[in-house]
Amino acid sequence: MAPSAGEATLGPLVMAAKGLQQRFGNQFVLNDAEFSLRQGEVVLLRGENGSGKTTLLNILTGNLEPDSGRIMIAETTAGGGEAFVFPRPWWRDLNPFDHFSPERIAKDGVSRTWQDIRLFPTHSLRDNVILARHNPHGEGPVAAIFRRSTIRRDEAVRRREADALLTRFGLAGRETSSADMVSLGQSKRVAIARTVQAGARILFLDEPLAALDSKGIHDVMSLLTTLVADHRVTLVIVEHVFNIPKILDIATTVWTIRDGKIVTESVEEVRSEPSPESADSIPPWLASIAGSSDAIIETHLPGGARILHVQLDPSYSRMPGLDVKNLIVTRGRRPVIGRTNEAGKATGLSFSLPRGSLGVLEAPNGWGKTTFLEALAGVIPIQSGEVRIYDKPIQNLKSWDRVKTGLAVLQSRDNIFPNLLVEDALSIANIAEPPESVRPFIGRHVSDLSGGQRQRVALACALAHARGTATILDEPFGMLDVASIPQVQSQIVQNTSGVTLILMPAASQS
Amino acid sequence: MNYVLHLLVLLDIYFVLSLSLNIVMGYTGLLTLAHAGYFAFGSYVYALISLLLGWEFIPSSLIAILLTVLLSGMLSIASWRLRGDFFILFSLTIQVVFFTVLKNWHDPTQPVGSWGNMTNGDFGLAGIPSPSILGHEFDSRTEIAILFTAFAVGTAGLSYMLLASPWGRLLRALRDDELSARSLGKNVRLAKMQAIATSCGMAGFAGVMLASYQAFISPTSADMNEATLLFSMAIVGGVGNSVLGPFVGALLLIAIPEGLRFVDLPFSIAAELRLMVYGLMLVLLMHWRPQGVAGSYRME
Repeated sequence: MAPSAGEATLGPLVMAAKGLQQRFGNQFVLNDAEFSLRQGEVVLLRGENGSGKTTLLNILTGNLEPDSGRIMIAETTAGGGEAFVFPRPWWRDLNPFDHFSPERIAKDGVSRTWQDIRLFPTHSLRDNVILARHNPHGEGPVAAIFRRSTIRRDEAVRRREADALLTRFGLAGRETSSADMVSLGQSKRVAIARTVQAGARILFLDEPLAALDSKGIHDVMSLLTTLVADHRVTLVIVEHVFNIPKILDIATTVWTIRDGKIVTESVEEVRSEPSPESADSIPPWLASIAGSSDAIIETHLPGGARILHVQLDPSYSRMPGLDVKNLIVTRGRRPVIGRTNEAGKATGLSFSLPRGSLGVLEAPNGWGKTTFLEALAGVIPIQSGEVRIYDKPIQNLKSWDRVKTGLAVLQSRDNIFPNLLVEDALSIANIAEPPESVRPFIGRHVSDLSGGQRQRVALACALAHARGTATILDEPFGMLDVASIPQVQSQIVQNTSGVTLILMPAASQS
Repeated sequence: MNYVLHLLVLLDIYFVLSLSLNIVMGYTGLLTLAHAGYFAFGSYVYALISLLLGWEFIPSSLIAILLTVLLSGMLSIASWRLRGDFFILFSLTIQVVFFTVLKNWHDPTQPVGSWGNMTNGDFGLAGIPSPSILGHEFDSRTEIAILFTAFAVGTAGLSYMLLASPWGRLLRALRDDELSARSLGKNVRLAKMQAIATSCGMAGFAGVMLASYQAFISPTSADMNEATLLFSMAIVGGVGNSVLGPFVGALLLIAIPEGLRFVDLPFSIAAELRLMVYGLMLVLLMHWRPQGVAGSYRME
């Protein structure tokens, strides 16, 4: 997969934007952003967290109206093509046929995929693809009754088309599988097949490689190459740092969002940048606790995740701490924790951490960290499998009984009652004497604190009685400033007699 | 025998209503309480046309269906922007408006059917003629039972044709993920409007059946009890498949009050007991079987 298309082979202009501006509150996410996109181009869109990648994607696919700017979609033989100028005068929205909406942009040949895929779960893969076909005359109640024979004929053709497309995308034999029963990699391919069937000439892909294993990544990558080569589709791909080198293999251009502007760079420039911390590196903090890297034990989990753990107190190392055995948690019918293989059979998540250990679970976005935490806490049901704390199964206990067994969890978001005073929040957590780190906040409402300050209160609540418990913290350092991170880390390390598990995004993604 | 035929006719009417609710609740995922209103509206339109103009069954029911479809626009426009609890509340508003208008468009000094006294208020409209098609009057209960069963089967067939078609597939898609459907270029507003219009038209037709069978109608067929009954029918029977769920719903909700009739209870207690049984069924089903007895879509 060498750089496939040089400047010379690029086709005519297909989409352009000028002066795009989008503000949320007082913060400019996009400020005078502009770009032009040519047919056959493969663009890698990158930027820091919160830099506006998703905002740009939402604007360009009709899901969000920018505050101001101009978007032009070029005309093709297939039709479409129009220009939008923002802000739009209010009276244009009175016309129901003149909205800036996803369906209108889709008809202009611009399509997208989502990070969370969003297939139609109760339809078969074949129907998911057929649905994407533009079919304004067949999809109505009158046609359903009075044009039955035409519809039957059309449907037969569409079914053949869809099956052929699915076969081409490596999904032969899965046509009638329900969309919520296929593996993640397969659903990503169906999502792309769907956009092809919808007649996409410009396709925005939101993290197409996220949470895929190496085979899944390979399949999707070769599919994208085919799309560009055979279908002359123009791609704009958002991907996390972790997978960027793979995208660079097919990209022709890189857009970097910096300070609200789109900076266009060449692939070579980006490739020569110093690579970020590689995925195999050990978090420095864990390394310093362990003393030597030999003391860190690494366990690989499916879906590109791993657990690194160190034994804080060796005298507990033979005692069971947190044991997870064949755990399957589903949302709808799709397993989020646990994987479905190509044959549709699910295997669960298993790992174990002894008492006295501190573990870090690093997993890519979309792996299901939050689902895992909620399932452990008893907020959502566990499909099958076993979770033991200190050798005691907890999966059938109510969430409050799990806490009594010694489980403590801290979510990454919404982890504190916003309408309470700080001292009330502490006393609900049975903390009589407020710890040093939150003493300055006494007397204020939690909702008046900044994100980082709130997180410190939440951590104070979670860690006050942490000693001896099985504590699970979801991205505890997320909101914290540099100064308070070591403080919290030293608090976490004090739990030498229990077991602590910290959930983190995979190292190079944060 | 007469009693069995009466039950059969009731089952036919409620089966048609249940089929109509299935389109909105099961295929677009919008929970509505407004159908009792459309049901009563259809019956009033039919009653007034046949009483005042003396039209036959087919033309007057066509007018009733047409007007119901037009008024379904109120619900469609709400469905464009509202969803979930807010849509239910809006549909409740529509039901209340229907009920209030039917109950209060009344002036005892003026003749029934005039602009001053269109609905005759709580006294209702009496003397509605039996269905008469091409000169043949269906006046015996047996004949009506046969005719209505044919209507019910026909509506079920229609519902199957509609929902098994590409249109039904589109409705399920937008029910499951509206944004995804829009991003594939689907006009979801139009589809919702079509679904609500079809559904309300069917409810209006059920109203026509009721009026022509009972010969008398009053605003109670648009009241909250009726709305709850229809809602329970959809939840208990289940929605999301084209015929089976609605049939089971209608069957169960017709069977319960009739079953209670055989328990020797004073009328006032039996009526209260019926509501309690509905409530209990709703609670139990939502907990143990959210997709209903025979449904295939789990409402959230």
